[in-house]
Amino acid sequence: MASSKSRRRDVAIAYALMAPALLLMAGVLAYPIAWEVWASFTDLSPMNDGGPRFVGLANYRALVADPQFWWAATVTVGFAVVTTVVKLAIGIGFALLLVRPFRLRPLVFMAVFLPWAYPASVSVIGWYWTLSPPIPTAYSQFMGTLKYHVDGALGTGAWAFLSVTLFNIWRGSSFIGVFLLAGLNAIPTELFEYALLESKSAWRRFWVVTVPLLKPFLALAVFLSLTTAFSDLSNVWMLTAGRIVFPVIGTHAYWLAIKGGQLGAACALSLALVPFLLVVLFLLFRAFDRAERPVAAPKAAT
Amino acid sequence: MAQVVMKDLNKKYDEVHAVKDVNLHIRDKEFVVLVGPSGCGKSTTLRMVAGLEEISGGEIVIGDRVVNDLPPKDRDIAMVFQNYALYPHMTVYDNMAFGLKMRKFPKAEIEKRVQDAADILGIRELLKRKPRQLSGGQRQRVAVGRAIVRHPQVFLFDEPLSNLDAKLRVQMRVELKRLHDRLETTAIYVTHDQVEAMTLGDRVVVMKDGYIQQVGEPLELYGKPANRFVAGFIGSPAMNFAEATVGEENGSVLVTNAGLRMTVPPAKADRMRAYKGQTVTMGVRPEDMHIAAADGRTGLDAVVEVVEPLGSEILLDVMVGNTVMVARVDPTVRAKVHEKIRLNVHPDRLHFFDAKTEQAI
Repeated sequence: MASSKSRRRDVAIAYALMAPALLLMAGVLAYPIAWEVWASFTDLSPMNDGGPRFVGLANYRALVADPQFWWAATVTVGFAVVTTVVKLAIGIGFALLLVRPFRLRPLVFMAVFLPWAYPASVSVIGWYWTLSPPIPTAYSQFMGTLKYHVDGALGTGAWAFLSVTLFNIWRGSSFIGVFLLAGLNAIPTELFEYALLESKSAWRRFWVVTVPLLKPFLALAVFLSLTTAFSDLSNVWMLTAGRIVFPVIGTHAYWLAIKGGQLGAACALSLALVPFLLVVLFLLFRAFDRAERPVAAPKAAT
Repeated sequence: MAQVVMKDLNKKYDEVHAVKDVNLHIRDKEFVVLVGPSGCGKSTTLRMVAGLEEISGGEIVIGDRVVNDLPPKDRDIAMVFQNYALYPHMTVYDNMAFGLKMRKFPKAEIEKRVQDAADILGIRELLKRKPRQLSGGQRQRVAVGRAIVRHPQVFLFDEPLSNLDAKLRVQMRVELKRLHDRLETTAIYVTHDQVEAMTLGDRVVVMKDGYIQQVGEPLELYGKPANRFVAGFIGSPAMNFAEATVGEENGSVLVTNAGLRMTVPPAKADRMRAYKGQTVTMGVRPEDMHIAAADGRTGLDAVVEVVEPLGSEILLDVMVGNTVMVARVDPTVRAKVHEKIRLNVHPDRLHFFDAKTEQAI
């Protein structure tokens, strides 16, 4: 058929147009990741004579045996999960608060949105200094005592890490709140009105009607929350010039690679959480994807 | 007794007074249609009955209870929305069962009610589908089915057919009427379409600017409109209006204007005499106009502007003096554009309205 030939041409043109972007992604993303995977199976290090030797799963086995790795992994994953859950809860609260008009709504909306709008580089330092005041203040003694106890119980740098956690939650819940508000506004009012006609319990209406209708937005919010949690960790470490010394995977790998010169081991470390992330992302995309195969095409008349 | 009584019902939104002093008594099993142009307050009134809007003044009684402070769920009403309001993440069955599940009905009872409603509406095979797999008409039926399963005291319809195409609307109209005959439940139906109002309503309530203009059976509104607005709103094509001066000649009352000269029927003559010398608004329906002989003392001198042949009839858009009018004539009439013709109307079919108050004379 003539149409299939022109269609093949269209497809070819589509690929040609995509080629620059694909090349960029391959160069900037795919190639480094592939290299990293390869490197994790070697003992690559500037300190070794000769070239890198293939060591198989040795790097990974070393990690599994290292209790420090497990502690760092727990901290990293715990940080991501806890901040996500809290951000989601607070975000939903903000969205429900702002969805219907009331007297001071514009002001409240601004207050909710500011943490996200405010430059992160400045606010992270603000949070760090709130918990560890750089100058004597009314509460610096109190903060100092808390820091002593927390660091004593959880290890050096725990208190500073807490400030990063609070920063992430404070900023993230602001964004999630506005994001979910957009989601709520996208839902036709009649769907909520009908629920009002059938149920007196706001709690039940929330779980049976609001949450399912908001599912794609919630899934995306969780995804964004997780990814920003991980990126925040590395950003924050660099912003504070390494003051955050609490062990997390990313910074640990950085130490290992740049300071320790163990590139192969560092690559293995960086990739250690990838399987976990892939599973989570897969589940999220399942929740996000609303497209279903139709049971049967609807009849043309009525 | 599922009557609905509205006493001095008022609704104010800050500056806007949307519903003004509505008094209406809807009898048990009656199908009442609220009709009017956009913004007339019909939907707001319906929503106040449902409990989706706060009542600013007055009271609403459903059955024998005043429901002003009763939450929507406890009012024993079921509503069908214009946009169907079906939950996209639930199957048709779950959508229909939703209200019953919220009220903790036993599973067997829910199953029975949903299957019965599905049978009545002919949607048995659709129960496992999701709303996005249904056509507009099918979704509408699911929305109606969802209301039926609740066995409410009153059905509330908020322009349910407005989103359907014209042909489907005609079909669904008939189905709704049959449904009402079968279910014998009080119903309040809101629409902006006067054809729907006339065909569906036991009684029709015409509203404008928040006020009730007239309440009555469809033919009563058609034949005896209380004011100019109702006269022009009911009937399609709309009633023709012309300004005319009242005069008297040899004992009979006449109205005259450029191109028209009509006798007032004896029944109205006395009332019209009071307007002698003044201008009134004369109304005549297109279907009451017919081609007349060129001679004759009364009639309308018209110039044909547009001929609309519809098959079953012909619509003539004509100019009478300075007024545009539409006449509905027999399909056998041969009229050409720019042709001068004579139209006449039986005096009993004339309507007269006070030029200032717009009330019927």
